[in-house]
Amino acid sequence: MTRQLELLRDETLAAAAAAPDLASLERLQIDVLGRKGRLTAVLRGIGSLPADDRPKVGAVANAVRAAIEAAVAERRETLRAEAIATRIAGERVDVTLPGRPVPRGSRHPIPETIAAIAEVFGQFGFVVYEGPEVETDVHNFQMLNIPLDHPARDLWDTLYVDLDGYLLRTHTSPGQIRVMARERPPIRALLPGRCFRYEAVDASHGFEFFQVEGLMIDEGTSMADLRGLLDEFAGALFGAGRATRFRPGYYPFTEPSVAFDVRCVVCDGAGCPACSRTGWMTILGAGMVHPVVLQHGGLDPERYQGFAFGMGVERIANLRHAVADLRYYLENDLRFLEQFR
Amino acid sequence: MRVPLSWLADYVDLDLTPEALADRLTLLGMEVKAIERWGSDWRSVVVGELVAVDPHPNSERLSLARVNVGDGTLREIVCGATNIAAGQRVPVALPGAVLPGGRRIERAEKLGVVSDGMLCSGDELRLTTDAEGILILPADAPVGRPLADLFGDVVLDVDVKPNRGDALSLVGLAREVAAVTGARVRLPRAEVAEEGPPVEERLRVEIEEPGLCPRFVGRWVDGVRVGPSPDRVQMRLLAAGMRPVSNVVDASNYVMLELGKPIHTFDAAAVEGGRIVVRRARPGETLETLDHEERILDPETLLIADPRGPLAIAGVMGGAASEVSEATSSVIIESAIFDPVSIRRTAFRYALRSEASLRFEKGQEFGLAPLGADRTAHLIVAWAGGTVARGRVDTNPREPEPVRIPFRPARVNRLLGTALSGAEQRELLARVGVETEPARGEVRVPVARGERPHDVVAAGEEAIVAVAPPWRRDLAIEADIAEEIARIRGYERIGGTRPDTPMPAYRRSPLGVRDAVRTALVGAGLAEVVTHALVAPEDLEAYRLRRPVPSLDDPEPVATPIRVTNPLSSLHSVLRQTLFPSLTGVVLLNLRRGRPGVAIFEIGKGYGRGPEGPVEWWRLGIALAGAATPPSPLLPRRNFDLDDAKGLVEHVAAALGFAEPRFTAEADEPLFHPGRTARLEARLATDAAALGLVGIVGELHPARLEALEIRDRLVLAELAVRGLGEGWLEPPKVAAPPRHPTVERDLAVVVGETVPAARVAETIRSSAGPLLRRLQLFDVYRGAPLDEGERSLAYRLTFWAEGRTLTEEEVEAVVAAVTGALEREVGGRLRS
Repeated sequence: MTRQLELLRDETLAAAAAAPDLASLERLQIDVLGRKGRLTAVLRGIGSLPADDRPKVGAVANAVRAAIEAAVAERRETLRAEAIATRIAGERVDVTLPGRPVPRGSRHPIPETIAAIAEVFGQFGFVVYEGPEVETDVHNFQMLNIPLDHPARDLWDTLYVDLDGYLLRTHTSPGQIRVMARERPPIRALLPGRCFRYEAVDASHGFEFFQVEGLMIDEGTSMADLRGLLDEFAGALFGAGRATRFRPGYYPFTEPSVAFDVRCVVCDGAGCPACSRTGWMTILGAGMVHPVVLQHGGLDPERYQGFAFGMGVERIANLRHAVADLRYYLENDLRFLEQFR
Repeated sequence: MRVPLSWLADYVDLDLTPEALADRLTLLGMEVKAIERWGSDWRSVVVGELVAVDPHPNSERLSLARVNVGDGTLREIVCGATNIAAGQRVPVALPGAVLPGGRRIERAEKLGVVSDGMLCSGDELRLTTDAEGILILPADAPVGRPLADLFGDVVLDVDVKPNRGDALSLVGLAREVAAVTGARVRLPRAEVAEEGPPVEERLRVEIEEPGLCPRFVGRWVDGVRVGPSPDRVQMRLLAAGMRPVSNVVDASNYVMLELGKPIHTFDAAAVEGGRIVVRRARPGETLETLDHEERILDPETLLIADPRGPLAIAGVMGGAASEVSEATSSVIIESAIFDPVSIRRTAFRYALRSEASLRFEKGQEFGLAPLGADRTAHLIVAWAGGTVARGRVDTNPREPEPVRIPFRPARVNRLLGTALSGAEQRELLARVGVETEPARGEVRVPVARGERPHDVVAAGEEAIVAVAPPWRRDLAIEADIAEEIARIRGYERIGGTRPDTPMPAYRRSPLGVRDAVRTALVGAGLAEVVTHALVAPEDLEAYRLRRPVPSLDDPEPVATPIRVTNPLSSLHSVLRQTLFPSLTGVVLLNLRRGRPGVAIFEIGKGYGRGPEGPVEWWRLGIALAGAATPPSPLLPRRNFDLDDAKGLVEHVAAALGFAEPRFTAEADEPLFHPGRTARLEARLATDAAALGLVGIVGELHPARLEALEIRDRLVLAELAVRGLGEGWLEPPKVAAPPRHPTVERDLAVVVGETVPAARVAETIRSSAGPLLRRLQLFDVYRGAPLDEGERSLAYRLTFWAEGRTLTEEEVEAVVAAVTGALEREVGGRLRS
């Protein structure tokens, strides 16, 4: 029987070493070591041996089993390693090829710039409101201290519509009246939106454009606060430390009125065509809300005071993104737009 | 306003460089838009002395001048003008010179004589309007000096704001300069040698409308000789942007630029009996104005008339018949004050806005009327000779009381965020001519003027009274005084502080839904566009839907468009009602520029004219055309079609937390392909009774594609989205993932081609009951062994139950119910 076992061992070891793949090795293992395998069959005969021979044959049988198991395991490792090596060799690719394209969209710079402006003022408690684009003459002009036949109307070339008393709003400022009519101070409002003017189109003008209006009213907000906030804004958008300038402006709905300049972002003050060689770029108009406007908003002009400002979104976007001609914004050439993320 | 600095220097000393002066004026609120070098376009033009002027040897019309330009030689120059004589000094363009307009002067032969340069007329140098004669320079003009040194000037272009009509004048701007530099302002000389008869014997003025003409000052000058103005005057007018006409007319324009007072001069011979009436036009009256237009006069129009009829439209334009001409010998000077609103309306009515009407409509200082008349008479006598009648006609010689504006220094500080003492504030005001007085007792501080004047009573010790100078008609309320104080002190000195006042309550951004839609679609690879709201009327009609997309939380769309009554172009003359025309425009533009594929969206408004006024509604528009994928070896090439747009709609619905959209066929919109268009709606996930999204998605009709020369397809969608105008996303409420195993069954349902997939899915859903948690279509198959006209729709059904494992029997029972319902309701059978 010992001889029989040794024969089985030698035969199996040879077969394992010759197994061409994992599947045949698996079959060999079952054929020899399985419940109905050949080694098992031999072992079943041990019971019929004389009692004295049993321990010796049993020890041989265990040694044979161990030898077979070790050989199968070794061969399995070898075959696995070969299989992985084959797979790797077969799967090699040119990793320098470009990747599978993922659809790439783009955000339009107008709403994106509005969002950037709102983010800055949002940190100072300003919240967003919107008003209608087809406005009344009353809201667009009269309540803003611009009566009918007032020469200040020359500041806004207006597009009129076939609805009596209505026009296409020339600025976002009528939103001031609408916010005051629905909120009590303290008010910190931001009003973005589309505006219209009777204006020939060129690199810096369009008959449709976007503005963001700001309004802050309570009992103590001063012109110094206006300066402080606008400086924060300029720093946020154009880099901390960018020089700014506060100078008198004129709007019928603010008194005092302000024009707010930043150091030219193109030439940094040296003087270039972009800043008309002044070294400064005007980015917005502002001022302390005129008492008559406060009255039209339903507020006591003696108790309440505050400021308003208005800026052209295209102008800010031009400076942020180094765009020289605002016609690109409404033209929507995708070669222009796809550069925005 | 164009301001030649040499002229401004007549009224105030200018010790600053032009750049520094421009900067100071800008910081004072008189923004200098440009600094122009007048004469910078004369190159190599110098003063020459005519040593001899002889006839040209070969021409009777030409002369031959010998000219000394200070370089030690005598140049021979051929000249065609007849006004030259030896001894005169004239501008000489040397060979190589460049004149305005780019004209180059070279040494050239003229009829056998070489001309070594050119003598220049005033017109050639754009210095005067005289193109006939050579410009004769003053006898003391230094020979050889470049002309630009002598007659060049710096012109500031100042943007004077509409509230500062007083600064539309050299004297007004001189006052601003003086406020900065502390220099004194010199008013022009206006004394008149009155050697004629009393003016009453010549001129009578009757005002029928004192409200529209509160003051009329007239003067009379006899014996004028009308001709060109002195060169120096012409140069100044041209530099300031006005064309010289004649000495008399130039005098009135000169005074307008100098003092800001528009003046009109009449040929007195054309004024019947020297009698002037200021009245409204009568029905049917007409007037030929200076521009030789015959104008039918509206009864609102204020006229200067004589007993026979209209002479001029008051404050706007004179009449041709009474225009001062070379034949004029007696002149009436009109220096009047008119109602600003009336002038503005009239100027608009006749589309005749002029330098004069611009100044009248901003209001005029009352006292300018006599000063303007006197100064004009002074200049006419100096330039055109003549004798001035004694005295003036003045219909309202009373000077108005100065405007007193009590203000509180503490309130000024509160507004500006400053801490200036009352004395400092008074000192600043004094620099712009605003005198101050102590307040005696209680005063009424004007806080607001206008419809509802609002005064606050202040005790004398807390207030100061500002006395506005008569030219400052813009000063009326306390805030105006605050602005003057800030302006004169310098806005730059208002420090920047961060507000420490109370914060408003939290408010959600109304842009939340719009932002979520943008994020979803940009993430899906679309480019956001922003297009014009104003479109062409043809496009509006061409892209009109028979059944517009209804609104959800906006007002319903209105079909009547809003039209612009004064459009810049008919291409942009009506407000759009859908996003289709502008989106199609963007697609076409990009395809034509060689883009292989376009995938865009816009969030914008439609506009309509409702019975109660304008209506605006928000919409989301999507447009897809051309290549759906970028060129890549890793992606199959394909073009956009309806399914892409539907997928995007589903994507948006999912991003906003809405239920899956349901599509129904739409075959009845002429804009769209009748077989490839769907109406759609998606309900709220939280409330199946409420819609989150409705709209239309489809491919443009093939006939339209042909007309637009789009080769493949154009897919368009327009959606109304809940909260697009004002809304935000609620955080989703979520369930734990199932802890017990889920069971999946795949069913292939064979139905007729005409049965919509949506009905099959609906039948499965309603018959399966609550255990069915998910239903996904994963395959559509046509062909053998199916019959012609059949298709197989393969669905994966996913089941699970809360808190227990489903039994095989339960699932089989549901599948049996589904199978039965499919057979009954859509004639479907299972394919095994």
